Amino acid sequence: MGLLRYESQVRPPLVDGDKDYHQVTEDICRPVEAKPSRLWWIGFLISVALLAFGILSVTMEVIYGTGQWNLNKTIGWGWDITNFVWWVGIGHAGTLISAILLLFRQGWRTGVNRAAEAMTIFAVMCAGQFPIWHMGRVWDAFFVLPYGNTRGPLWVNFNSPLLWDVFAISTYFTVSLLFWYSGLLPDLATLRDRAKLKWRKMFYGVAAFGWTGSTKHWQRHEALSLVLAGLSTPLVLSVHTIVSFDFATSVVPGWHTTIFPPYFVAGAIFSGFAMVQTLLVVTRKVLALEEYITLEHIEVMNKVIILTGSIVGIAYLTELFMAWYSASPYEWYAFKENRLNLSSPYGWSYWIMMGCNVLSPQIFWFRKMRRNLVLTFFMSILINIGMWFERFVIIVTSVYRDYLPSAWSTYYAPTIWEVGFYMGTFGLFFTCYFLFSKFFPVIALAEIKHILKKNGKNYKEKMDEVEKESLTEFSEKHGHDHGA
Amino acid sequence: MNKYWQSFGEVNDPDNFQKKVEDEFREELPFEDMDSKGLLDAKSPRRDFLKYLGFSTAAATLAASCKTPVRKAIPFANKPENIIPGEAKYYATTYVQDGDVVPILAKVRDGRPIKIEGNDLSLFTNGGTTARAQASVLDLYDTYRNRFPTRKVGDKHEESTYEFLDKTIGEAIAGLAGKSVVLLTSSIVSPSTKDIISKFANLKHVQYDAVSYSGMLEANEASGFGKKLPSYNFGEAKVIVGLGADFLGTWLSPLENALGYTKGRKINEKNPEMSKHYQFESHLSTTGASADERITHRPSETGAVALALLAALDGSVVAPAIADAKLKAGIVKVAADLKANSGKALVVSGSNDVNVQIIVNAINNAVGAYGTTIDWTRPVNYRQGIDKDVKALVADMEAGNVGALLIYGANPAYDYYDAAKFKSALAKVKVTVSFNERWDETTELCGYNLPTHHYLESWGDAEPKTGITSFIQPTIYPLFKTRPYQTSLLRWSGNATDYDSYLKTYWAARLQSDDAYNKALQDGILVEAGGAGATYSSASVAAAASAIASIKKGVKTEVVLYQKVSIGTGTGATNPWLQELPDAITKATWDNYAMISMAKAKELGVKLDMDYEYYPKKPVFKFTVGKAEVELPILVIPGMNADTIAIAVGYGRGEKLGKTASGAGKNVYPFTSFNGNNVDYYAADVTITDMNRKEKIAQTQIHNSYEGRVEVVRETTLATFKKNPNAIPDYRTEMTEDYAKKTSDFRREATLYPDHGQPGIKWGMAIDMNACYGCGACVVACHAENNVSVVGKSEVLRYHDMHWLRIDRYFVSDNENPDDLKGVVFQPMMCQHCDNAPCENVCPVAATNHSSEGINQMAYNRCIGTRYCANNCPFKVRRFNWSDYTGADSFAHNQDQELVGKLDPVIHQMNDELTRMVLNPDVTVRSRGVMEKCSFCVQRTQAAKLKAKKENRVLADGDAKTACQQACAGDAIVFGNVHDKASAVSKMREENTQRSFYVLEQLHVLPNVTYLAKVRNTDEIIEDAHHGGEEKHEGATVPAAEKKEEANH
Repeated sequence: MGLLRYESQVRPPLVDGDKDYHQVTEDICRPVEAKPSRLWWIGFLISVALLAFGILSVTMEVIYGTGQWNLNKTIGWGWDITNFVWWVGIGHAGTLISAILLLFRQGWRTGVNRAAEAMTIFAVMCAGQFPIWHMGRVWDAFFVLPYGNTRGPLWVNFNSPLLWDVFAISTYFTVSLLFWYSGLLPDLATLRDRAKLKWRKMFYGVAAFGWTGSTKHWQRHEALSLVLAGLSTPLVLSVHTIVSFDFATSVVPGWHTTIFPPYFVAGAIFSGFAMVQTLLVVTRKVLALEEYITLEHIEVMNKVIILTGSIVGIAYLTELFMAWYSASPYEWYAFKENRLNLSSPYGWSYWIMMGCNVLSPQIFWFRKMRRNLVLTFFMSILINIGMWFERFVIIVTSVYRDYLPSAWSTYYAPTIWEVGFYMGTFGLFFTCYFLFSKFFPVIALAEIKHILKKNGKNYKEKMDEVEKESLTEFSEKHGHDHGA
Repeated sequence: MNKYWQSFGEVNDPDNFQKKVEDEFREELPFEDMDSKGLLDAKSPRRDFLKYLGFSTAAATLAASCKTPVRKAIPFANKPENIIPGEAKYYATTYVQDGDVVPILAKVRDGRPIKIEGNDLSLFTNGGTTARAQASVLDLYDTYRNRFPTRKVGDKHEESTYEFLDKTIGEAIAGLAGKSVVLLTSSIVSPSTKDIISKFANLKHVQYDAVSYSGMLEANEASGFGKKLPSYNFGEAKVIVGLGADFLGTWLSPLENALGYTKGRKINEKNPEMSKHYQFESHLSTTGASADERITHRPSETGAVALALLAALDGSVVAPAIADAKLKAGIVKVAADLKANSGKALVVSGSNDVNVQIIVNAINNAVGAYGTTIDWTRPVNYRQGIDKDVKALVADMEAGNVGALLIYGANPAYDYYDAAKFKSALAKVKVTVSFNERWDETTELCGYNLPTHHYLESWGDAEPKTGITSFIQPTIYPLFKTRPYQTSLLRWSGNATDYDSYLKTYWAARLQSDDAYNKALQDGILVEAGGAGATYSSASVAAAASAIASIKKGVKTEVVLYQKVSIGTGTGATNPWLQELPDAITKATWDNYAMISMAKAKELGVKLDMDYEYYPKKPVFKFTVGKAEVELPILVIPGMNADTIAIAVGYGRGEKLGKTASGAGKNVYPFTSFNGNNVDYYAADVTITDMNRKEKIAQTQIHNSYEGRVEVVRETTLATFKKNPNAIPDYRTEMTEDYAKKTSDFRREATLYPDHGQPGIKWGMAIDMNACYGCGACVVACHAENNVSVVGKSEVLRYHDMHWLRIDRYFVSDNENPDDLKGVVFQPMMCQHCDNAPCENVCPVAATNHSSEGINQMAYNRCIGTRYCANNCPFKVRRFNWSDYTGADSFAHNQDQELVGKLDPVIHQMNDELTRMVLNPDVTVRSRGVMEKCSFCVQRTQAAKLKAKKENRVLADGDAKTACQQACAGDAIVFGNVHDKASAVSKMREENTQRSFYVLEQLHVLPNVTYLAKVRNTDEIIEDAHHGGEEKHEGATVPAAEKKEEANH
């Protein structure tokens, strides 16, 4: 198999150190099998505390009404939908890495895909909270489902982009979850087989769905992966396209823009990769997985960031140009006065967005910078801030001063419960991530083993030798290695 | 009137029964001294605490497991005649408040009056109403009304009975030993009451108006008309000059004035002529906002302006020196225009100075107003108070000559220019009786209070104009132990009849038959012959002119006091609907404040920057005049006189009037003064001190300019309109061509969605912006009709106001100088019921959808509250229930949030059992989390259709009227079936194609509300009026931005 997927020596190795299969298993299972560290506990408890505060914030909002937030008659959506779009965007990297990169046969994905997929699932979970709890009457949220009912021909409104959201996000979540879990199966079986405690055996035994590693299992597993990859690929593009329809199909100047679908998708990948960077830079350090999540991985992802960041930048400029060129006084006002004008109430947010998303990633044109961990971490945070502001700029700075100047809004700043809800989703996200990193292998064991023999450092070195050999020589010498 | 009862106790021994009911749970749990000290130090030690805890837990469990008592409405065993449950009845009656009279119909549903409509039979009001008349029905259910008669024992007012009080007060009055008995009232318009007063032996009657027209009354007397006020006929006037008179807002009879005024303002496009309105004033008033040309001056120059005008007209007096070039030129121009329109001109002045009014009379004589635009055959009775009489009374009281003071409708302890003096004088009166519905500032000081009925509970009559009487009949059995004050007067004058029988006897005798009386009662209006009129005499002019010439023009800042349309002199302050009605000019609610000019703002160092506009906190200044001082936040308004500060009266009320009144604003009546003849409602020499702090003002609109957005409001001048009458239709045609290039099907081509046929009725509305002067009657009517929530200042501050209908106000200023105000545009804005509604297609659950009759409708119980519709509404007319404003929520006790969004007491007030009686049972009370908006009064259109169907006829035009339409005195709002070519709305659209436009038509949302462009009657030619949109947008937005920059410095 290794031979079939020949890889050039020019490419740096994706697994460092003198690893063999057993060593890989040991390295990756160690954090799962060892007792959680002090650091893990601290992080976990902080996350749970945040989650609890988030639950309190939402409870207040449900009991006392949306008036617990500072939204008003002009600004119907603020932090809630900003956070929703932000989290959905973050939830794009995982599936992109798993699905699209799988189809494009990018070997480097194996080091990061598990964590990224997990991140995707958690981010979508967080995202889902906002459209649910932002409803004025959340107990009637089930009205958005097209279920058979006894209310005559009462049906959902298929014209509404919000309804499309319901379908898009639930589908995306389901497929992502399946993808992630099916990838986990062989690894769970490994953990089961290594387990010494009874409960661990049971837990991983049940979780592994009776995986035995038989050829049949592998065959079906591979097929399933391909099918799911095929399913997810359009979803990566469609989810954020549909989220962008929430705005693009409206009449609000600043929302009503045909460029939104590609612009949103690029932005989503941009922010998703930034979030992956944030997590992995820390994870690889804390769990001592630097040999699996190497600087190569970091650099490759930084390249994706500068690509998508630049697409986003071009989109910003195009949108601005079109606002002027369209000769629509309302749209041009939204851009010129609500955004570009630094002395307008929210002018600052536009320039934070521009600075974080367009200017700052340009530093990654330099290889040295792409491989600088501290800078990468810093940049990933900056980009996430910038992308949050992008959504804020789109949502709030468009509606707060739109068509009728009489309805222009007073200054909108969030209440403690709005901030609390957002913090709470961080709590949810990190609680899940901490639990995940404790109970599941954060690197896809089985998949890294796939690439070990062609991308592992020691194997790559040996390849020098191999490349000089003739095919017959090679077969004679290495043939027995297969299936080890 | 039927009596409804439940038990024999209630029927046979009502007092005792009531007491028993009240006393049922009298004893409170003995948790004494627990609240402040904490458990350990409490009188009840720990063990007791446990006992209580155990008991209360058990009790709570029991209580929770028991069913909460279900209160059932008991149906009639025998159907009372003429009452059909669920069907409204209308009774003709009259809104009377301190001399203000509006003939109305009270809509009564199942025994409760719930809505006020104008009485169409009344010609002088033409079925119109005012905001205050509309809101008065809520006063009936005010929890702060006095519920029983009281007498003062020590420092406390104790409940008493009428029998006891009749005896006590009767004896007290009898034993006054020669000291006089005085009845102090606001202006009394009731002929029968005047009859009672005249028959009360030795009773001296003094009338006192909070804002007095004494100067005018005396001036008219000096001019030979007697101490009266004439009827004004604004409709006949081609040139109208207001000298500080807010005649569309608060002056004399704004409803009547507006009715005539708007008649002259409506344009017939075949022959575009309209009246010309000049306004000289110190601050921007509601009336000034509608003026074609405004010229500002200092309040102390009022007399000089009148004098100069008279001098320019006929030279009979010496013109005073006027320094301000603009003012001087304005006077010359106005004089010329008046001369040219002699016999078709009218000059009115809001001054309370007798000399100024004498000069104004001379002006009116010079322009031939008498007999044409001023009618002395029907003098009006709205205001009758003479300042000197009141001053004499206070001096009399001070001297100890007054033995008994009976007070009805007057509140001098609050609004007298020297309230402290009145209070000390009152203390010297032995017997003080108040007949007040509420515990106002004066009633608190009186020894007895015998609360009178609310007018909806009363019998009565009102004669607003000589020979025109409007009758009052009760629409509900009195809610509390109240009694008409007339009955008290009758008793104490030795007459045992009650006022209702007295009234009947009085009128039956006057009309010479019971039938005639009953007919008059049913119609509500009785028209008899007017007076003979009177002739003008110029005898007093010279003296007045020299008196005015001696008035010194102020040099420092001056303050002018004005009334708000909503609060008036202060009588509206207790009414939540009125407190929440945004002021026409400032769009502020729940407060008074100091309106200052842009120049003054600059001088005071107030920066008109982003912070000023986008945050509700406004800088606070202390204003001092003599000993009176008040600290108020400021609002900067264009078009003010540079050195004038304007503050509304009627705020800063006493605690006992309830939190709605007492929580809002400051009292500025102490700024009034007595000039030797009359009370002046302005003061010169104001000292302004910066308090270096800020206070919040709750405005419903923060941005003032329409930023050159041509499609939002269409506004032009008469000269421009004449020059280019087709600017709007051309623009629209061009747009139609753009949209229907391929198919020429305008409706269908620009949208993806199918066009649904509307085969039957199609409801539509047309609004003439020329006839709208921003009074807000429609806004209050909408509140009352549609159970629109009041949210209180704290929520208005958060931009959570719930008005379904708002009146957008835009200032039109000179491009270079925003302070140079050219005009103000009022645009009533409600749901436009778009046929291609952007809100409808974004709702995920189809909670908002379109009816086949063109109404954009809300299914409240389907709404899940995503607010997407509100975001996508270009008109921003959708309102969301952010909190539990109505108590209709699924969660109990959730109006008590403390940390965020604490609700004002008014929310609780509006939700108590009594106040909720005002709710319209035909309209759902929305729970929180639900979106709501204007429904085109769908309950009314449905009812009208049903009625037509039952009568087996086609729906006629006018069968269904929206609440706003009905309330509008100027008939600015017309509603009806646009498929009916003969309907008023169709005709209005057809006859006004040159002015008709849809707001934001280019969005192709296909609204069902048309507006007629506002036309100002000036000679200015607005360049580029043709085609505002495409070519102009750059030019239109850039100066607007620059203007903002300039405002920012």
